[in-house]
Amino acid sequence: MNFISHFQGQPFATNKVESYSRGKSLSLLLLAPALALLAIVFVWPLLRYGWLSFHADSVITGLVAIPNGGANWIRLLSDGRFWQDALQTLRFAGVSVGLELVLGLALALALHQRGPGRGVLRVLCLLPWALPTTVMALGWRWIFNDPHGPINALLLQLGLPSQGFLSTPSTTWLVSVLADVWKTTPFVALLLLAGLQSIPTDLEEAMRLEGASPWQRLRRLTLPLLIPYLGLCCLFRVAQAMGVFDLIQVLTDGGPAGSTESLALYAYLNAMRFLDFGYSASVMLGMFLLLLVLSALVLVVQRRFQQQQELT
Amino acid sequence: MNLRRPIIVAGLLLWSLLPLIWQLQTSFRTPDALVGGSLTSGWTLENYRTVLQGSPSFWRYMVNSALVGTATTGLTLSLAVPAAYGLRQQAATLKRGLLLLLVAAAVFPYVLLFLALLELARQLGWGNQLLALAIPYSGLSLPLAVLLLQAGIADLPNEIEDAARLEGLNLWQRLHRIVLPLLAPTLSSTAILVFLFSWNEYPIALTWISRSELLTLPTAMARIAGSSIYAVPYGAFAAATVLGSLPLLLLVLLFQRAIVSGLTQGAVKG
Repeated sequence: MNFISHFQGQPFATNKVESYSRGKSLSLLLLAPALALLAIVFVWPLLRYGWLSFHADSVITGLVAIPNGGANWIRLLSDGRFWQDALQTLRFAGVSVGLELVLGLALALALHQRGPGRGVLRVLCLLPWALPTTVMALGWRWIFNDPHGPINALLLQLGLPSQGFLSTPSTTWLVSVLADVWKTTPFVALLLLAGLQSIPTDLEEAMRLEGASPWQRLRRLTLPLLIPYLGLCCLFRVAQAMGVFDLIQVLTDGGPAGSTESLALYAYLNAMRFLDFGYSASVMLGMFLLLLVLSALVLVVQRRFQQQQELT
Repeated sequence: MNLRRPIIVAGLLLWSLLPLIWQLQTSFRTPDALVGGSLTSGWTLENYRTVLQGSPSFWRYMVNSALVGTATTGLTLSLAVPAAYGLRQQAATLKRGLLLLLVAAAVFPYVLLFLALLELARQLGWGNQLLALAIPYSGLSLPLAVLLLQAGIADLPNEIEDAARLEGLNLWQRLHRIVLPLLAPTLSSTAILVFLFSWNEYPIALTWISRSELLTLPTAMARIAGSSIYAVPYGAFAAATVLGSLPLLLLVLLFQRAIVSGLTQGAVKG
């Protein structure tokens, strides 16, 4: 067998091998359609809101956009309903995410121990998360129905008066928190469980042999190593909870007396019920700015914890 | 230690399932039984009949949601796979920047986008077009899909692809014959997550679709809720809940491994 025929038999003659630079420009081409759709869906709306927020565009102007300087923004700053909704949304997000992280961590630690039925447990964890929010929002409305829902039926049976859980501001927001925690805690637990499983077991074993208590192991080993996961979970959940819409719209429609109205619902009402698109755009951008500040806060806190960890 | 786990597991079971079981039993009760009957009487299938024979029938909403979900999944994957593959070839700084933007987009509460997307739909005549929903849905699921797929691709050894390149396979052939088959597990978990998102999406379907025979499942449910605050037909509604949950239950049962690995991979690489 001579050399020439050997090489001719091979399919990798140089002219057939793609040059590296050509591959690179081709790969940009591969990215292009996805980037284009992302620009339309994510970037365009924000630009459009930026423009719209400096225009009057409502039934009063005949749904024609007329520049109005910063009038929408000035209105936003002094709009009591916006700030009340901002506080209510923050309260909802803060309490929900706090509970979800604490309960989710506890659940993840429990599930991390080896035991039978892990697959079944995962399914049970995923089920509340996988159901459409609107479906269970109506379910919760029935469960807290006054006086026929099961909770009130139980109260009546115990000889206690039935409670208007969804007609009293002080309890209605707690029901919305409960619904959110019910849906999301198992999901948070699942993500944290992935974090726990990434921790090498021999580290924990070493600490155990040194006589560290379970609490010390958690404080000094598990939690520090979980910080990136907790940070990511927190960021994701805070952003989603700040944008809460489906749950509130179906569960309470913002009531009673606007006490559970979220920012997203307010923006929606401005656009779809009051037909004031210019102001709705300002509300959404206001909410977006709030979200940026909060996300930055979460990231700074996470970094702080991480650095502290690296120092010790 | 050994005792704690069963207790926590039982607690979790109760916590997750009790509201669902309550819906299930509600769906089989007559209206009279719901407002204070005994457990021995007042059982009926009437609620299911109402829901399935309504106009439009409940099946219609399920079919609508399934159609949109399938179209969304197809469109998302056909855009996300090339993008994730293309991302691998980019310079490190550009890649890192794009990944950060994708994470930001994946975290972003998309409900904020509904107004501009609605304007777009009106201009393009996409309102009340069921399958047109797949376009914004794909856009919204792309960040997560690309992140998951690029993490999957990054796990593939470089040598395989280099060898294929030397063998003279062009880009399309490499993608089609080498990368896709190796990526199958990631592909399936991504597909399920995208489908779930589409099946559950509410604000965009709410604003794009008004004709009742085109409603998706979540919007149809919410419409029942909005019909009256005081007299929601809870029995019929519970029946709808049960029917609407069955496909998801099936999906979660069949693909729980894929869903979990998709989610956790997203967390690890994100």
